[in-house]
Amino acid sequence: MAISREAYQALEDIVGPENISEEPAILDSYAFQWLAEFRQHGSKFMPRAGAVVLPGSTEEVQAVVKICIRYKLKCKAHSTGWGLYGAPITENAIQLDMRRMDRILKIDEHNMFAVIEPYVIGATLQAEAMKVGLNTHMIGAGASCSPLAAATSFQGAGPDSIFMGSGPENLLAAEWVMPTGEILRTGSLGSGLGWFSGDGLGPSLRGIFKGILGACGGLGVFTKVAVKLYPWPGPTVMPIEGTVPAYTAQLPENIRAHTLAWSTWEGYADAVYKIYNNDIGYIAHRQFIMFGDELQAAVLKILTDTTRTLNDLEELLKKPEIQKLSEEMRRSFQIVLVGMTPRDIEYQEKVLNQILAETGGWKIAAMEEPTMAGWSLLYMIKLCFKNLNYVYAGGFHDAMARAGTPDLVTSGWMEEMREQKRKFGKQGGIVNDGGDAGMGGVGTAGGGGYNAFENFILYDPGDAASVEAARACNVDAGHIAVEAGAGGYNFFFMEKEQVQALLAGRARPAIFQWQQKIKEAFDPNGVGDGSYLCLDE
Amino acid sequence: MALEDYLSDAKRCCRCSYCKWIPLAQVKSWRFAKGCPSIAYKNFHSYSAGGRLAVVLSLSEGRSSYTDGLLDVVYQCQMDGSCDVACKICRYHMEPLEAMRELRFKLVEEGQLLPQHIPVIDNLRKEDNMVMKPKAERGKWSEDLDIKDLTTESAEVVFHGGCQLGFDEELGKVARTAVTLLKNAGVDIGIIRGKEENCCGGKAYDMGYRGEFIKYAENNIEAWTRAGVKTVVTSCSDGYFTFKRLYPDIGSKFEVLHTVEFIDRLIKEGRIKFNKTIPMTVTYHDPCHLGRLGEQYIPWQGEEKKIRGQIVVYEPSKPRNNGAGGIYEPPREVLRSIPGLELVEMERIREYAWCCGAGGGVREAYPDFSYWTARERIEEAKSTGAEALVSACPWCERNFIDAVNGNGDKMKVYDVIELVQQAI
Repeated sequence: MAISREAYQALEDIVGPENISEEPAILDSYAFQWLAEFRQHGSKFMPRAGAVVLPGSTEEVQAVVKICIRYKLKCKAHSTGWGLYGAPITENAIQLDMRRMDRILKIDEHNMFAVIEPYVIGATLQAEAMKVGLNTHMIGAGASCSPLAAATSFQGAGPDSIFMGSGPENLLAAEWVMPTGEILRTGSLGSGLGWFSGDGLGPSLRGIFKGILGACGGLGVFTKVAVKLYPWPGPTVMPIEGTVPAYTAQLPENIRAHTLAWSTWEGYADAVYKIYNNDIGYIAHRQFIMFGDELQAAVLKILTDTTRTLNDLEELLKKPEIQKLSEEMRRSFQIVLVGMTPRDIEYQEKVLNQILAETGGWKIAAMEEPTMAGWSLLYMIKLCFKNLNYVYAGGFHDAMARAGTPDLVTSGWMEEMREQKRKFGKQGGIVNDGGDAGMGGVGTAGGGGYNAFENFILYDPGDAASVEAARACNVDAGHIAVEAGAGGYNFFFMEKEQVQALLAGRARPAIFQWQQKIKEAFDPNGVGDGSYLCLDE
Repeated sequence: MALEDYLSDAKRCCRCSYCKWIPLAQVKSWRFAKGCPSIAYKNFHSYSAGGRLAVVLSLSEGRSSYTDGLLDVVYQCQMDGSCDVACKICRYHMEPLEAMRELRFKLVEEGQLLPQHIPVIDNLRKEDNMVMKPKAERGKWSEDLDIKDLTTESAEVVFHGGCQLGFDEELGKVARTAVTLLKNAGVDIGIIRGKEENCCGGKAYDMGYRGEFIKYAENNIEAWTRAGVKTVVTSCSDGYFTFKRLYPDIGSKFEVLHTVEFIDRLIKEGRIKFNKTIPMTVTYHDPCHLGRLGEQYIPWQGEEKKIRGQIVVYEPSKPRNNGAGGIYEPPREVLRSIPGLELVEMERIREYAWCCGAGGGVREAYPDFSYWTARERIEEAKSTGAEALVSACPWCERNFIDAVNGNGDKMKVYDVIELVQQAI
């Protein structure tokens, strides 16, 4: 059932007829979402919105929220809209697409922050920041995503978090259209002092926004935020070489990419601690394992050679040097060192070499080769190839996501995680990648100390049997994770009732009940979509 | 192929929005990061390649049906292929541009015609051109030209003027200069004179009229075969794409060259020499159909299979048309070889160039959108400090000239050939 004519007209009066639609095909282009197939019993479509609205200003957003309250409509905003998190979870909600609010309002070079609107993406903010010798934290989902959403509405970690922190850690002042329709300006902005702080001198709500996984579009609309920027001693425009799609970047001597490896998890963990303690590294991430421990070397070969396709995979997998490289990369991560001065890079390199010597690690020689190093460098700095997650068949999500201290890798969890997925891979419903595609942060929070891994399940969303196998793998992983007290709630992939069932007979983690209280306090009219994570007692 | 063959692509789209931007590795600024004019102008997600794939799925599942709004989503797009390049950076089995073409074919086959296109196609059927002119006016540029007429004579090379150069009095000089340069360099060249030359059919193909395309392709192939032609040369990038990428499927075996490739070859062989200096700073606009869409045709027939459980591959291996093999260097080499000329680059170039706005039936159906797209490119050209915007396609040049004139800009617009002629 469509929304009432009166409500539609009221919305159209706010944004103009060119910025609102209830055309079924247009609404379905919004309902179509990555991962919808898990929640919607195989369908790629989330519940269809009643209308999609493209506001152009904070005032328009506020007016739209007030109309939604008046007509008792649910309302959900997305920025770039990638993933089922962006879509309403009930029919006939109002979908706000924030793409008209796409301006970088300010880059304060001296105080090292930027003020941005929702549809600014990581790639554009980074390009503008680099022009003045600065850089921005890039969420792990990559350069096509919104730094505003990463800071307010999701977990927001990424490969550079070891140096730059996660999205919520980088949130300074914010402008928030609350679910009540009021506008709240947080941090220093709330005291009329500008954008430079998220906490003192004004109301701090960073913890409220962050919660367990961000506001997820269920708690009002963030219309402007300030985010911290970080030093970038590299070129003001990245010099890109190579032929599409195998672009590379050859950067000055003060910027280097390595893939570091160990023969034991103990060595790996010791090295991570030492890297934190010695305060080196600009980016550090277990990244290329996402292709699977048995396939990663062959896939990297394909991705860096424009004459090759996935058809070459089987042949490459038979080559001894490829098998050796995959084995070498089994316990590895990528690191980018950025020296602020020539002496700094020499120092960092020396420290890294010492850490490797002390922990039994090494730099993988094949990854130091110029083409591979240039490709890795570009990947890690710009996160511009992040969609390679989907390269095999178009689908990925994760199993047994787990966060912990660096010694998590020595707990047996990595092997358990590998075996859990390997079992499903051998059955053929998901990609048989070896089992360990546990991509994760070496430092998921600023300065390190926090490691998190997601074991990618790679599947074909165009194949119902593959979707079902991926779901089964995910649910199985969820049970194991819950047994271990390690999360795995898969809220977005399941109906709330399914999650309740998964947790039957167990104490609910308090965070969900607290989020329920927050939701009731900030959204008394229930205008927010149910994506903000809550659980009943 | 049929639209149904792309339903897997539709389901495998991850809705990441890479298709909206230039390849993210190549982003150099906020201002010039967008790649797809359609979504940049209309804003609703459905006006992106990913959005259109969702529309394909929605239609196929009976969730939506044909409406004016749906036709607008499908046709307000230049079919320039920017989305295709950006998508394929990470996706090795997606064909968003082909899926969008098939959607247009299906709409036309089922009588869902865009009203603005109907008079254009009617004129094509009656007058054999895409510019709404009487057939008798075609080819005025060649009226007094001393050149073989391949309706009665034979030659190794045929020069195809095409609809835009064939009727546009201001741009006709490009065709005239090109043919003269090649003839003077000793090339055995001729033309299908006057009204006997036919449309290439490429624009009709882009608008969804596959039947019209096949008719013109067969006619042209027959005429060239009769004249003993081995090589087809054109200054029109739309024509180039049509002859090089589409005609082989209809049985064409001719070598296809754009004028800039031929001129570049003649300069390198010393058969064209420059004796004048042109003290000017210019920037080059890569036409979509010469650049990312101008790759070599590689025949492929095969089927999808899976390895390692769910990894999608093809038997036999399928060519990846991702823009890598487009014609990018020859026009730049020609410009660099002109004494005094300085070539400066825009931010969006080569496989990730911004479109001129004229393609896909947009100039004919959505003039405001077409004009806006051209204005965006002119702004980018101005940002380089160049005095002139140079291209190698009359459709691009006409759109740029109209946009420059409409806005009172001082930016000059040239075809590469015009600058070559000035330097000789």
